[in-house]
Amino acid sequence: MGGSGQVDRRSVLRGAVAAGAAGATAVGLSGAAASPSSPSTGSGSGSGSESADGVFDFHGVHQSGILTAKQRCAAFVAFDVTAKDRAGLSALLKTLTERVRFLMAGGVPEPLGISAPPSDSGVLGPVVPADGLTVTVAVGSSLFDGRFGLSARKPKLLRPMESFPDDDLDPAWCQGDLLLQLGADNADTVAHALRDLAQHTRGAMQVRWRIDGFSSPPRPSGTPRNLLGFRDGTANPAVTDSRTMDQVVWVTPAQGEPAWAEGGSYLAVRLIRMLVEFWDRVSLNEQERMFGRAKVSGAPLDGQVETDAPRYAADPTGDVIPMDSHMRLANPRTAGSDSLRMLRRGFNYDRGTDSNGNLDMGLVFCAFQQDLDRQFIAVQKKLAGEPLVDYITPFGGGYFFALPGVRDSSDVFGSRLML
Amino acid sequence: MVRRPTGPTGPLGSIRPWLIAGTVVVLAAVGGCGGPAPRKGASAAGDYPDLPHTTVQVSPGGCGTGWTEPKAGLQVFEVSNTGSQPEEAYLKNPATGAVLGDVEGLAPGTSRPMVVRLSAGKYAFSCLPQDIDTITGPTVVVTDGSAAGTPAVVPVTQQDLIPPTLAYQKWVAAQLPALVTAVQSLQSAVDGGDTAAARKAWLPAHLDYERLGAAYGTFGDLDGSINGTTKGLPGGLADPGFVGFHRLEYGLWHGRPAASLRPVAAQLTKDVEKLRSDWAKAQMDPLALGLRAHEIVENTIQFELTARTDYGSGSNLATAQANLQGTAESLALLRPLLVTRMPSLPAIDAAMKAASAELTALGPVPLSGLSVTDREQVNAVFGELVTELAPVAAVCDVRRTS
Repeated sequence: MGGSGQVDRRSVLRGAVAAGAAGATAVGLSGAAASPSSPSTGSGSGSGSESADGVFDFHGVHQSGILTAKQRCAAFVAFDVTAKDRAGLSALLKTLTERVRFLMAGGVPEPLGISAPPSDSGVLGPVVPADGLTVTVAVGSSLFDGRFGLSARKPKLLRPMESFPDDDLDPAWCQGDLLLQLGADNADTVAHALRDLAQHTRGAMQVRWRIDGFSSPPRPSGTPRNLLGFRDGTANPAVTDSRTMDQVVWVTPAQGEPAWAEGGSYLAVRLIRMLVEFWDRVSLNEQERMFGRAKVSGAPLDGQVETDAPRYAADPTGDVIPMDSHMRLANPRTAGSDSLRMLRRGFNYDRGTDSNGNLDMGLVFCAFQQDLDRQFIAVQKKLAGEPLVDYITPFGGGYFFALPGVRDSSDVFGSRLML
Repeated sequence: MVRRPTGPTGPLGSIRPWLIAGTVVVLAAVGGCGGPAPRKGASAAGDYPDLPHTTVQVSPGGCGTGWTEPKAGLQVFEVSNTGSQPEEAYLKNPATGAVLGDVEGLAPGTSRPMVVRLSAGKYAFSCLPQDIDTITGPTVVVTDGSAAGTPAVVPVTQQDLIPPTLAYQKWVAAQLPALVTAVQSLQSAVDGGDTAAARKAWLPAHLDYERLGAAYGTFGDLDGSINGTTKGLPGGLADPGFVGFHRLEYGLWHGRPAASLRPVAAQLTKDVEKLRSDWAKAQMDPLALGLRAHEIVENTIQFELTARTDYGSGSNLATAQANLQGTAESLALLRPLLVTRMPSLPAIDAAMKAASAELTALGPVPLSGLSVTDREQVNAVFGELVTELAPVAAVCDVRRTS
């Protein structure tokens, strides 16, 4: 970020926001002006670059933070809703809408004079910059348990995340009524947004678990690497191809989901510890055979560059790319495996050390998809027992449903869900 | 219990931190008659590049000078002290005295931004130089705004706070005899070597103390001696400085011999008796009541709902309820001041009620016995409550009006 041209555009946008932040209309217009027809500016480019002014559209058919190129910093925060009834949940969704609308656009925090402490923490200075912030709201199956009269409206595939054979789940790190995925260009922006959201929703929801993540820059080029040193997300579908996105990511009428869910997306979050110190004691050849890719280039073991497609037909017995390699199990590239594709948007995490001093780092696996069973769960079943499982421990996460987008300045999160 | 200090204690009208800071700045910055011109550098225009900005002067000779083009909406005033002494400046409604924005402790030769949102109406700057009467600048009329502006609140003065503060002192005085009696019962149970009876006597005595939450700042060192934890003690549980309620609690719930607890119980009795006899001379800072109205519950969240102060009795939820009672007392006394100033007062009342009801529903169980859901519920109602209470302290901050 940072040419002077960018700064100028930001200033103009902030001016529009600042001048009319009381009326939601002006805030909405700022986004619309940047991109009147596209629901997600950032996702529109899909090339890993951020929209030029650091502002992603809040309003649209879909939420931002899904097709949006990964920002450098992220937080995944699962909440349980403590609001007592349906009206309380509605009020929570309205508050979330108002706060996220402001935070994603940026602007001058509302002055409260001597009537209260400052409305903003001031962590980002006097004028809150958008800084590439996206806040994506998703709901878990427990929200539909009857407390809020929503049992009949549950997305049909949504359920608590099951324990897969290689998992070692800690219930304290699993599930949640609500999940917020925050992403931004800088860690202070993520922290600021989370503080703002917590401050405004203290009575209505409580943090169940939280994990911060980061995505790495290309090292030295190509798809960012995970903490096992391999490029992660190479085979992701093209987010710029809206037809593909309608087949892979978004719930459409064809899925037979409740009407309110159209434009939303199933989200599988998996907190996967990587036993990185163990991994670092494994030979390169063995590491590469577990993934099926070259560590340096990211190329399939039968290819030259990252973007090369593996030619499994030429290697039917797995002499070059082992049959049980992660890549080959997850996507065998046979007829029909197209339907397995999902949009992975994982972040690395690093959270100190465990009880005996081993480094605790890993991956916040995050995948958006149209059909939980056909995509994430099917792939996960194929991966059961892969050699890589000795070096990773999935310990938490959950299944969620990312709500459809907030259409305009008068809409709120989940408006059709709560009708 | 370790309490965050509430500022200087002692005689009514103790010195506020900003005044001390202001004085230092005066010594350093006074140049000559009329004072130095504001230094260049940070400015409202620089800090808020996209807001309309207006530079206004505050000085005995020209209060509010420079506001020539009134406009509605969100804007920033660069409040510039062109006088020779520190100033406070308010932007207010001249008819009601209600304040929309303030700048405190503004040193000569400096300026600071004041962001406000103005709706249609009449406004004026008030300038309050140190030790000099308030000067109110010209009334400015904003004509074009329709949306709601920054909330305006009539400042609370020291005079306003003296009656509730005195009433609170009286309320505390009326509570202390029961505390002394309860502690004496606790001591005789400890002396008699009856652990079960001592445990039974410990809780009501401790709760009697926990109910007095708004007064701790005035209790001074006695609070640490009566209700301190191991915090800050190099020897931890074995530190000779670990005394009072929590030392007894630790001993009674960990099978320590009664003989080892007798001196602790005796000291506790002495301390609460001293508290009672000293209280007649104590003078609470008027600032304390409003601050404590929110800080008591902040402490509850920090120390009770985390079980930090649990040394074995598992009584944190009962303590939380006692803390609520103390908060309710301070709110009741402040209510006449709040009712005209805080439209959120019904929400505060509702949050107080919800927190108390939640504790009642859970019953006197240890925190560790609560399910995740129950724990989340109690954290939620207290989180909501403390959010609602925070503005009480802001509104009850002591301000000058004349």
